[in-house]
Amino acid sequence: MITVYRIGKFAFQNFWRNIWLSIITVTILVLTLLTVNILLVLNVIGQTAVKTIEAKIDVSVTFTPETSTTLIGNARGYLLSLPQVKDVRTLSPEEVLRDFRADNAGNPDVLASLDEVEGNPFGGQLVILANNPEDFDFILEALESPEYKPSIADKDFEDHQVVIQNITTTFDKIRTGGIILGGIFLLITVLIIVNTIRVAIYTHREEIGIMRLVGAPNFFIRAPFLVEAMLYTLIAVLVTIAIVYPTISLIEPALDAFFQTTPTGLLSYFTANFELIFGLQLAALCIINMVATGFAMRKYLQV
Amino acid sequence: MIHFKNVTKTYPPNVVGLKDCSLHIKPGEFVCIVGRSGTGKSTLAKCLFAEERAERGTVEIGGWDITNIKASEVPLLRRQIGVVFQDFKLLPKKTAEENVSFALEVAGERPKRIREVVPNVMRIVGLGDKMHRYPHQLSGGEQQRISIARALVHRPKVLVADEPTGNLDTVNTHEIIELLKKINDFGTTIVLVTHNREVVNKLKKRVVTLEGGKIISDVEEGKYKL
Repeated sequence: MITVYRIGKFAFQNFWRNIWLSIITVTILVLTLLTVNILLVLNVIGQTAVKTIEAKIDVSVTFTPETSTTLIGNARGYLLSLPQVKDVRTLSPEEVLRDFRADNAGNPDVLASLDEVEGNPFGGQLVILANNPEDFDFILEALESPEYKPSIADKDFEDHQVVIQNITTTFDKIRTGGIILGGIFLLITVLIIVNTIRVAIYTHREEIGIMRLVGAPNFFIRAPFLVEAMLYTLIAVLVTIAIVYPTISLIEPALDAFFQTTPTGLLSYFTANFELIFGLQLAALCIINMVATGFAMRKYLQV
Repeated sequence: MIHFKNVTKTYPPNVVGLKDCSLHIKPGEFVCIVGRSGTGKSTLAKCLFAEERAERGTVEIGGWDITNIKASEVPLLRRQIGVVFQDFKLLPKKTAEENVSFALEVAGERPKRIREVVPNVMRIVGLGDKMHRYPHQLSGGEQQRISIARALVHRPKVLVADEPTGNLDTVNTHEIIELLKKINDFGTTIVLVTHNREVVNKLKKRVVTLEGGKIISDVEEGKYKL
C-alpha cells in the first residue's frame, strides 16, 4: 500500500514539475476526445435528419380516371392488410386535381394545358405511409398484381430516395472527415505522450540513477511514468465531459427547433450512454497512452 | 565474501577493462584497490554492484554468483551492497534526511522503520544535527557523509567506495576515511577504490594494485607503490 502511495506521489511530482508540458499533453488529448464526441453528435444529428425525412416520406399511387372507387377502396384495404404499411389515405380525383393546380400555381403553361383538357384527367389516388421506407419496394411490388396493375397510372417515390441518399452521403462524408481528423489527433497524441514521458525521464535522470543505485525495483522506477500517463488521460476525459455537456445543452434547443417534429435528444443520448461513451473513451485512451509510455520507457529509460 | 575468478571485461572497440583478474576478499576486510587512471579499478568496483558484467570468469558475493545476474535481481543485490561515489550523487532538492530516507522509500520500507533507521545512521556518520539541511548547505565532506549514510541504511555486508575522497580536501578526506574505518569496525567489508597515495599509506590495510586491467600486486598492510 505504501509503495502504491509512493508511486502515486512520484507520478504527481512528475506531472507538477513539468506543468506546461502536462497542460499541452492534456490539451491534445482533449482535442482528440472532442473530435470523437463531435463525431458522435454528428451521428445523432444525422440519424435525426434521416428520421425527420423518413417520417415525411410517402408514396402516391395514382389510378386511371376510369378506375372505380370500389377498386381503389379494395386496393386501400389490401394495402392496409400488409404489415409493412402504416397508413393509407385516399384522395378523390377532384382532390388530386386541386392539389395539382396548387402545386403548379406558378406554372401557367402547365395550367393552360390542363385547361385545354376536357374534364378531370386525374383518377383517384392512394397516399401510402410505410413503417419503414425500405419497405416501399415491397409495397409497390404488391400493387403489381393483375387486379390493380392495369388501373395504376403512376407511382411516385424516386425523389424521396434521392433526398435520403443525399443526406446519408453528406453525413458519411462528414463522418469520414471526422475519422481522418480524429486519426491525425490520435497520432499527434501518441507523439506528444512519447515526448512528454521522454522529457519526464530526462528531467528525472538523476533521481532515476539514484533509485537504481540504492536498489529500487524496476517496477517502482517505471510505474510512476505509467501512472502519469493515466493521470493525463483521466484529466483529459474530465475536461472533455466539462466541455461536452454545457455545449450540448447550448446547441440542443437550436437543433430541436430546426428539426421540429423529431427532437434530437442529444443530451438524453449522452446521459443515457454516459458510462459507455466516456468509459470507452477513458479505456481506449488509457490503453493508447500506456502503449506510448511503454514505448518511451523502452527507448529512453534503461533500468 | 567476494570472489573474482579469472574475470575479463573489455569495452568496445577493444579497450581492456579487466584482464583475467582473480581476487578473494574475506568478510570484514578493508581492501584498497589502487592504480593509475584507466587501469580497471572502477570496472572492478562496477562488477561488484552489477553496473558492468564480466565477459569471462565469475563474480561471486556471499556465495551468490552475480556474473550473469538477471535485471530483476539487481535491486536485491544493490540493497546488500552500499555504493559511494566521488560526486556524492545526492538529490539537491531533498534534505540530508530525505536523501537518506529516499533509499528506503524506493525499496518499499515502512515509514515507521524509516523514522527509526535514518536518525541512527545520520548519527553514525556524524550528521545527527544537520539532518534538515540541503546538500548545498553542507561541505563536500558532509555531503559525502550523507552519501555514506544512504549506502548504510540497508545495512549492507559490503560497502564499495569509488574514489570517495576525490573531491575533498585533506581534512575532509581524513574524516571520511576515519568514517569508513569505523564502519569496517562494525563488520562491514570495505572495498575502497582510490589513487590517493597518502590515504592508502596511512590506512595500512590490504592493497590490490591494478595495471592494464591486471592485478599486479596484492599485499596485506600494503603501500601505494606506483
